[in-house]
Amino acid sequence: MSSRKDQNAAARMVRDQIAKEQRRKRTMWISIAAVAALVIAGLIGWGIYAGNKTTDYTAPKGANAAGNGISTGSGPVVVDEYVDFLCPHCKSFHDEASASIAQLAADGKITLVTHPVAYLDGASTNRYSTRSSAASGCAAEYGKFTEFSNVLFANQPAEGGAGPSDDDLIVLGKQAGLGDDFAQCVRDKRFLTWTSHVSEEAGRAGVTGTPTVLVNGKPAQASAAQIAAAVAAAAGANPSASTS
Amino acid sequence: MDERTGWHRAQPWVSLLVRLGLAGIFLVAGGLKVTDLAANGRAVNAYQIMSYDAAMVVGAVQPFVEIVVGLLLLVGLATRLAAWLSAGMMVAFIAGISSAWARGLNIDCGCFSKGGQLPPGVTPNYLPEIFRDVAFLAMAIFLIIYPVSRFSLDARLDRPFSAGVPAEDDVLEEDSDESTDHTAPRRERA
Repeated sequence: MSSRKDQNAAARMVRDQIAKEQRRKRTMWISIAAVAALVIAGLIGWGIYAGNKTTDYTAPKGANAAGNGISTGSGPVVVDEYVDFLCPHCKSFHDEASASIAQLAADGKITLVTHPVAYLDGASTNRYSTRSSAASGCAAEYGKFTEFSNVLFANQPAEGGAGPSDDDLIVLGKQAGLGDDFAQCVRDKRFLTWTSHVSEEAGRAGVTGTPTVLVNGKPAQASAAQIAAAVAAAAGANPSASTS
Repeated sequence: MDERTGWHRAQPWVSLLVRLGLAGIFLVAGGLKVTDLAANGRAVNAYQIMSYDAAMVVGAVQPFVEIVVGLLLLVGLATRLAAWLSAGMMVAFIAGISSAWARGLNIDCGCFSKGGQLPPGVTPNYLPEIFRDVAFLAMAIFLIIYPVSRFSLDARLDRPFSAGVPAEDDVLEEDSDESTDHTAPRRERA
């Protein structure tokens, strides 16, 4: 009786041992499969990023030397503004400060470099940030960047929905005085790669949000008064600064 | 004694809730970011912890990893491993936010959003973000300690082997507590 019980117990122990061993093996294989899935997922992300990297681009006329923004004026102090045509704060900044900034450029005090970045593609259903920026490149090509920017901000769509289509952008271009060659440029998506370049360079420069304003490379608050003060300070500190 | 067996019964259900909760967090966080990888890269770059290029790669890889970890937790596959990865990520996030706070950076953590610099006049609220991630970390640690949960693929895959041993619900448990139920008649195999 007792020896039979012992036999049963021994058999159970062996079975348990085998089951344990098999369980260990299975856990190992499941872990390996899970890690493999993670690695593959990571490689997909990397692949998409590498595939989207800009390699070739043509900057439109009126672009600065680095090809990452549109220059206005030729004053000694460089004011860089990074804006996304979809960003609400950029619109309020534009409404409040664009006239006085344009005046500073017209007076020969500053060189204004506008970087139309596409940071908010996630905030519209049809990549309005990218398309509006590329269209602004077309507007620059045909000499009406400032006018077109004004029209875009005046007709800024709300975030979250669909922004104006390419056809809508062409209509808006007409309001800014742009013609058929502009329309063709928008349809050809000629400056889409330039927009990627502008955004990439802005990111590299540490611009993480819009609007961002730099006066001679130093961050300034995005308001007319603050920019005027920073420009005056920069001009006073280095009156002989040359244009770039 | 009663309490212990009560917990014994409840634990797989609690683990299920924690597992699904963490899965939802990762799927939502990853899903929100996967649609705009460049924006996520900039959000990582805003922490100013690594070079721009490294930040862009991390930003592109991270959402996919989050989604896979979320899926593993959702189906309950390699639960303990997924829980370890979750805990590791949470520690990294907490460290990142703390360091941004310590350096006085004015950024959106980008945890469930596009992240980046906050507009002027908006002050970052780092403390709730850290508390939230600590709570998520606690959930992950719970799962590391109690990975056995209801409706998990892990348990399903384990079942074939229960053919040889008395059928019990919690076959994944290392020690099914035979010592405690002296009263129950031992079921012998035929």
